[in-house]
Amino acid sequence: MSITGQFDFSVVTTGAYRSWLVSGLGLSLQLTAISLALSLPAAATVALMRLSGIRALRGLGTVYVEAVRNVPLLVHMMFWYFAMPELLPQSARNWLYEHDAESVCAVIALTLYTCAYMAEDIRSGVRAVPVTQLEAARALGFGFLSSMRRVILPQALRIVVPPLVSQTLNLWKNTSIATVIGTAELMYQAQRVETDSFRGVETFGVATLAYLSVSLMITAFATWFHHRFPARSP
Amino acid sequence: MVYVARFTPVSWQAAGFCLVAALAMATAVRADQLADIRLKGELVCGVLATDEPMSFVDPQTRTIIGYEVDLCQAVARKLGVALSVKQIAVAARIPELQQGRVDILAASLTHTRERESVIAFSLTTFVTGQKVMVRRDSGITSLAQLAGKRVVTVRGGTQEANLHKVVSPVDVVTFETAPQALIALQQHKAAGFINDEMSLRNAYAKLGPANQDYLILPQNVSVEPLALGLRKNEPTLKAAVDAALRELEASGEAEKLFVKWLGPNTRLRYQTRPFRIDSDRVAN
Repeated sequence: MSITGQFDFSVVTTGAYRSWLVSGLGLSLQLTAISLALSLPAAATVALMRLSGIRALRGLGTVYVEAVRNVPLLVHMMFWYFAMPELLPQSARNWLYEHDAESVCAVIALTLYTCAYMAEDIRSGVRAVPVTQLEAARALGFGFLSSMRRVILPQALRIVVPPLVSQTLNLWKNTSIATVIGTAELMYQAQRVETDSFRGVETFGVATLAYLSVSLMITAFATWFHHRFPARSP
Repeated sequence: MVYVARFTPVSWQAAGFCLVAALAMATAVRADQLADIRLKGELVCGVLATDEPMSFVDPQTRTIIGYEVDLCQAVARKLGVALSVKQIAVAARIPELQQGRVDILAASLTHTRERESVIAFSLTTFVTGQKVMVRRDSGITSLAQLAGKRVVTVRGGTQEANLHKVVSPVDVVTFETAPQALIALQQHKAAGFINDEMSLRNAYAKLGPANQDYLILPQNVSVEPLALGLRKNEPTLKAAVDAALRELEASGEAEKLFVKWLGPNTRLRYQTRPFRIDSDRVAN
């Protein structure tokens, strides 16, 4: 708000301020896309570990999920940015610091955090497929992994897509936490514009609109998918 | 016989006059912040409380003390009201003042032309400058050598904009707090750490024996006159605050306050006071 108490959105939607906000939005979208691409296969692996017959794998999966889920994302960010690099050998650390450490560490924190939640969603999706399906597959001579791949997972996937989309929505919003480690995403750039322009209401109004628009697109995708590919019972 | 009160035209006029006068007074009270402050008997002063020695938490008493707290105390005494200290974040300083949650800002606030369009300032209460701290092993000895390097700082202030004016190109990364920026410098995440000189001297002292690995570059990135922040269009409050500050200078108490918090016997070891509280200085 300016001295006169009038809102003027054009200040933050033109010139340098706009390019700051656009670059922030771009980085936020990149963080979401890369973290999603990395956490989906990792989550499937962790889910299968927790479902496997091998006790050590189950234990490992459980320890990972509980250790990650029970610590706030803010702490994860701080750890991966301020503490983890100090534990690396000198050469790896130098490499990291020459390659946008803020974004790399944000992706690591977001991926590991999202992965733990997605693994639980995938696991519950697999468990939602009646156990007789697995038994029937095994009776027909399929092994554990091929029963999973050919019979269980295709059914489970339809069940887990809505919760996975919901986790993607969380991931998108969680990228804003990366501002605390200096990652120049949308929230960081919005604070930068506010500091420079004193137009907090306009700046955060635009940022809110950007977050909301992308969130609604993700939600719209979930709704469309749910109608197009409803979960089927065997 | 029942007595019926009857208003003559004259008494109607009197009532109307009273009403108008009452309304005018109510409006006046709302319009004049100084009267409001006197009415509630309390001056709410917004401080950072994380910026020794300007304002910080005394570990013994758990209260907020410092140079700026003492300035607020002196102003409150002059206005004849009690002082209430409220802790605020760097980036929230101006919004907190605008929205009336604090009456006055004593929060290491630089008097800039840009900020003049949003808030008013008292006389200059402190003059510092922004400088850059580097690690000695980086071999950097002047501001020019920072070109193309990364420099860290705390967000919400003027550091980033000022550095871009004197070094180009430079990659600035900001953090929520100054200690986080210092850690980033220590961890080789950046070549330099820009902040106001006092905060840097403070950080330098806190590093202890390790401080021989660091160097504060001698050149100023900017000269930063600090002042108390006031809401705009409150001339009576500004006049009262400025009068209190002038009196502080005239009585020699301003000098005593400076020596108490920043003088040769403190960690910051300023030998002399590089300013007087007698003018409005604006950062260029």
